[in-house]
Amino acid sequence: MTQPDSTVPADEDDQRLMGLVAGGDDDALRMLVHRHHPRLVGYLRGEVGSQATAEELAMEVFIRLHRAAGRWRPEAKLTTYLIHIARNLILNEWRRRTRKPTTALEYTAEPGDGTHASAREVSELDEAFQRAVLQLPAEQRTAILLVVQQELPYEEIAVIMGAPVSSVKTWIHRARARLRELLKDFHEDT
Amino acid sequence: MTDPELTPFDHQLAAALRGGRSVAVPGLVERVVAAILAERRRRVVIRWGSAVTVAAGLMLLITLGPPSEETLNRRTFALVAQDEFDQLGELFGAAADLSLLAPVMANPSVVEILDASGS
Repeated sequence: MTQPDSTVPADEDDQRLMGLVAGGDDDALRMLVHRHHPRLVGYLRGEVGSQATAEELAMEVFIRLHRAAGRWRPEAKLTTYLIHIARNLILNEWRRRTRKPTTALEYTAEPGDGTHASAREVSELDEAFQRAVLQLPAEQRTAILLVVQQELPYEEIAVIMGAPVSSVKTWIHRARARLRELLKDFHEDT
Repeated sequence: MTDPELTPFDHQLAAALRGGRSVAVPGLVERVVAAILAERRRRVVIRWGSAVTVAAGLMLLITLGPPSEETLNRRTFALVAQDEFDQLGELFGAAADLSLLAPVMANPSVVEILDASGS
């Protein structure tokens, strides 16, 4: 039975677990999924606006991670790698649906979401912010979610998005300005 | 990440988005693991299926073996014969086409010749 090693940093432990997963260790796989799945679903939900789609995409991300485990090299943090795969999947989904990647995949209030929402007691204000984020262009939405929601550094976001740090900063700046405009009824400091 | 330059709006934004930073759904992790393991089994089956197909092809090649010299000669003669037949066919075909294009010349009958010489 694989045990999490609390004495080593999470990134190093991820590397160790990935090595075990490549060797076919199902316990290590379970541990990795357990560690990263909730955050990945959180990010994907912010991107696509649907809990069900976020869960489906997260499952696909882990399937791809498992498939690539043998070839995986720890050049970046596992979180970065997971979000990178997730973002590619979202872009593919957009292409598949032949929609312009300027709006979220969908935004519908789902009955299932209510249970999660009530658990967190998402306020009307929070929902307004989340809806506004879904109206942002794709790059701006990804950048603002990664910096504000996931609290990732600019450099890591640049790696995930395959763009220079300066572009990431521009997208974040524009996203903030656009959100401020969209949510002017909800805040006073404009 | 407490930035003194952040406005109340930025704080509101951060609070709203961080609420959904991590979404844990009971039982979902096990479903994901089960899906991964099922996919792995599927890949193994496909890999073995391909290996079996390749092996069967190799076995067939080995079993049948290369064609003998006599067989090759027979096939060559058959091909040549077929080729000659095709060439002849083309010639006759062309001749038939030419006869169709030739002007129609009605040969006079014996009666007509006798009539003509009689008159």
